Amino acid sequence: MDFRRKSKARVERKPEYENLEQKYKHNVLLYRMPPTEDIKIHEFEDLALERLKVLRILEQAQAKSLRFLSDDWKEYVHDELSREGLKGYLRLCTNGGNTAANNASKHEFELQARRRDYISHFILRLAYCRTQELKSWFIAREMELFKYKFSAMTPAEIKQFLDLHNLNYVPLSAEQKNAVKDGLIESTVGQSVAKIEMLDFYKVPFTQVLDLVRSRRCYLKDGQAYVNTHDFISIVGTKQLEEIEHGLKSAQRLIREVETDERLFTLLKSLHTSYTGKDYTVGKDVKVPIESIDQLSKKSFPLCMRLCHEHLRTNHHLKYDGRMQYGLFLKGIGVTLEDAIRFWREELTKKMDPEKFAKSYQYNIEHNYGKKGSLKDYAPYSCAKVIQENVVQGSVNGCPFKYYDQSTLKQKLAAAGLGTAHIQDVAGLAAKHHYQLACAKYFQVTHDTNVEVAINHPNHYYLQSQELMGNRVEKKSHAGPPRKSTKGNVSGSQSTQDYSVYMNADDDDELWNIADDTQKTFESSTQKPAAKSTDIAWEDDLDLTAIDC
Amino acid sequence: MPEMETENTNSTTTEPVTAENPDEKQKKTTYAAVYDPECLPDMLPVYYRRLFPHKPFYRWLSYGLSEDGIFVNREISFTLHDDIYIRYLCFETQQEFEKELCTRCPFKIDIGAVMNTRPKNNRISAAAMAPVQRELVFDIDMTDYDDVRTCCSDKSVCQKCWKFMAVAANILDTAVKEDFGWEHILWVFSGRRGIHCWICDYEARHLDTQGRSAVAEYLQIINNAMGSNGASVSRVFIGERMHHSVRRAYQIIEPAFEEIILRDQNLFSSPKGIEKLCNFIGDEVARQETEQFLLNNVEDGAPALKVWEAFKRYANSMRCNATQSVWSRRLKNIIEEIQLACLYPRLDINVTKGFNHLLKAPFCIHPSTGKVCVPFNASVAGKFNPTTVPTIAQLLQEINAFDEKNKAEDEADEKSRIKDYKKTSMFKGVVVFEEFVRKLETSLKAKSKKLNEINMEF
Repeated sequence: MDFRRKSKARVERKPEYENLEQKYKHNVLLYRMPPTEDIKIHEFEDLALERLKVLRILEQAQAKSLRFLSDDWKEYVHDELSREGLKGYLRLCTNGGNTAANNASKHEFELQARRRDYISHFILRLAYCRTQELKSWFIAREMELFKYKFSAMTPAEIKQFLDLHNLNYVPLSAEQKNAVKDGLIESTVGQSVAKIEMLDFYKVPFTQVLDLVRSRRCYLKDGQAYVNTHDFISIVGTKQLEEIEHGLKSAQRLIREVETDERLFTLLKSLHTSYTGKDYTVGKDVKVPIESIDQLSKKSFPLCMRLCHEHLRTNHHLKYDGRMQYGLFLKGIGVTLEDAIRFWREELTKKMDPEKFAKSYQYNIEHNYGKKGSLKDYAPYSCAKVIQENVVQGSVNGCPFKYYDQSTLKQKLAAAGLGTAHIQDVAGLAAKHHYQLACAKYFQVTHDTNVEVAINHPNHYYLQSQELMGNRVEKKSHAGPPRKSTKGNVSGSQSTQDYSVYMNADDDDELWNIADDTQKTFESSTQKPAAKSTDIAWEDDLDLTAIDC
Repeated sequence: MPEMETENTNSTTTEPVTAENPDEKQKKTTYAAVYDPECLPDMLPVYYRRLFPHKPFYRWLSYGLSEDGIFVNREISFTLHDDIYIRYLCFETQQEFEKELCTRCPFKIDIGAVMNTRPKNNRISAAAMAPVQRELVFDIDMTDYDDVRTCCSDKSVCQKCWKFMAVAANILDTAVKEDFGWEHILWVFSGRRGIHCWICDYEARHLDTQGRSAVAEYLQIINNAMGSNGASVSRVFIGERMHHSVRRAYQIIEPAFEEIILRDQNLFSSPKGIEKLCNFIGDEVARQETEQFLLNNVEDGAPALKVWEAFKRYANSMRCNATQSVWSRRLKNIIEEIQLACLYPRLDINVTKGFNHLLKAPFCIHPSTGKVCVPFNASVAGKFNPTTVPTIAQLLQEINAFDEKNKAEDEADEKSRIKDYKKTSMFKGVVVFEEFVRKLETSLKAKSKKLNEINMEF
């Protein structure tokens, strides 16, 4: 680890043209080896912020419920990238190979873009390696960016990419292909029969193409998946995912050491200050008396939670998944453990004897509040999680805008007091799979407001509603003591670690806390006259080899 | 230290009765062999001492000790009398495990994951403890079939509804074998109304969470939707072409459909069944039209077979006549989709996805039915009869009867040579289990031999 300041006399090195050509051979790269060149600290910052902008655009696209890589999605991302002036990324995302090789200036621009892309990824690893939530967010966004870039490549460019990364896949011989032909034709989704005859197929272990397996998009036999050139995005995506996950782990091990450099410290803080957002683990600041729930559920609960509440009140029962979803939500808005137990007991014991409740249900509630079992304080579900919920018969968990068919949804909306025109609006959005937009519309209608809201967390919905109605002053921003995060992820590889479940707004607050936390330490440790020298330090080179992750 | 997580609430009520009438109770268990849940605590010690197949059970979970800590780091949990639930138990040897079973006599044994450390140390090192491997498991529960069975509902199960389970086991068994190439598959009757499947191949045990959820979703084709009457309805959507795994399932379902759905369950009999049938149609307009058509054209009280024939004719004619309608697009496979929706395995995929989800061990006694959770053979699942699975009461009576009979002629040492479970109707279940364990060990041996040979070459 070497972060010593280099002597000022050193000649400033501008990376040469050929050098870049050698280092960054392709627009799409696997992030394998960390960059080893020296960069200026302010460039370090620029690169990081630039990439953050890109990732946030992708996040927005997801929050708008645009289907990943659909035309709408691409259009939105494309527009946003150019609006923000991120030309380099735009170029990388829309031009797979090095098509500009004959135009020297364009080519150099492209090479520079590759370099920025590559280095900035490694910088952000440092910022996002600290907690599981941050990692999940980062991985989800990075994978979207990678797949977006990858999808712009032609088969020839894909071949080039594979060669470059020593990924040797040998296509099936005509004979081998013939042997599994029926299966290929039957099970290869997205290609016509004639095309399947023409395409090269490859045999890979099914674990390399889990997304294709999950959605039954390829032929599968004896644990081997048969995929074609177009499916390489899956295989390579898995590789990239492994690289990033592995890299984040190494970064996490090194981060304490990296942070001993004061400049980086301050930098990481400035990287996140522009961010605001909330985490809803415990509504510590406000206590919500359980008696007010009936009232609140009508006005301030999103439809998913409102339905849970109504179901519970009418049927005196909720299935496990529903209890989790609703129970954690209640915790998040500030219902105390004691109130929660009382509330659930009152309802559930209308149908079961109190002993059964005490034995089988109370434990779960205490568990959710981190008092029993693994002692983790579980975070309330975000929209992404609610939408991904597996809704089984007779349960009311999940996102109603997704779960219900049109007619039922309309009934429910009518029951919630919406007028016909509004019902059409909301249900229409839901029909187009814009669940969160439908929810936002529902918010506007029920609050009789035109304020644009983005809904990506039921607890956020609740807060916005409360703020709008003036019941609650906006949560005092992060001046309070930095709270230690005790968020939901249970040991290692438990089920919550599914990266297809995108984390939404939960992360920023965490960043905040860390930044806050670290700044405090920083400030207290720099009571000494170290501050003066930092100014000079900005101009010094930063040795990236040191950040080896 | 194991933790008592639920309070013992009503342990005293039954005690005086048993103390007063021990003889009467004895009679009950020996002669009538009718299972009485009240007697379970009295019977379990004998069951664990004489009948529980400790040896093969250990041989299974130790996997020939092919990996470090594979047995000793396994989380086992016990449910004791009065729902006292103890997690994070683990055992060093077969003897220790056997001793604990015989002394504690758990009402239920659950098997969790193999951890990276002794699970009982979890309070000391909770942060560091993580699951390393675990069988891939599937859970199918009869209650999920309530919308397609008319013979029973909720907790009860008869031979007619068992056919749903047989078809499900058959489909799942073939799918994991052919598509994923796994072969060490243990099927277990869950004691009342469901079945469990344990896949024990190395690759399956070492799948990570993403892998498990991908496999689970691959095998899950049924979606739940809300029907017109507000009830939840299962639907399947095939899309452009039938995926090979779905087609294979269909080939199993198609010949069984008539017997199970149309004859046994008489599911679509007019007029109530017509509503049920039409609820499978996802398009509201088409659903109403079909319902109207069937109500008008099928006589009142017609059996399901007739309704189904009429429906098929109607659907086919709609498909051919109106080429640009919903019938030629979204509903073009509706007949096959309905058949799949009725009989395709309804998995509780959360059980499969969870890396360290606990699942009830084979050879437990189901506390409310008294039945043994016996393993069975998926290929002959159709012949398995859940209603005749022996109860613990019956088993104890059987060994007593056997001992009685042989007392006169046998020398003591000769008698002890016959394993107790061989004297009972649990025998078949143990044989299936032993056969499974034997195959597992053979393949593990072959694998380690191969590995040794490779190492030798270097």
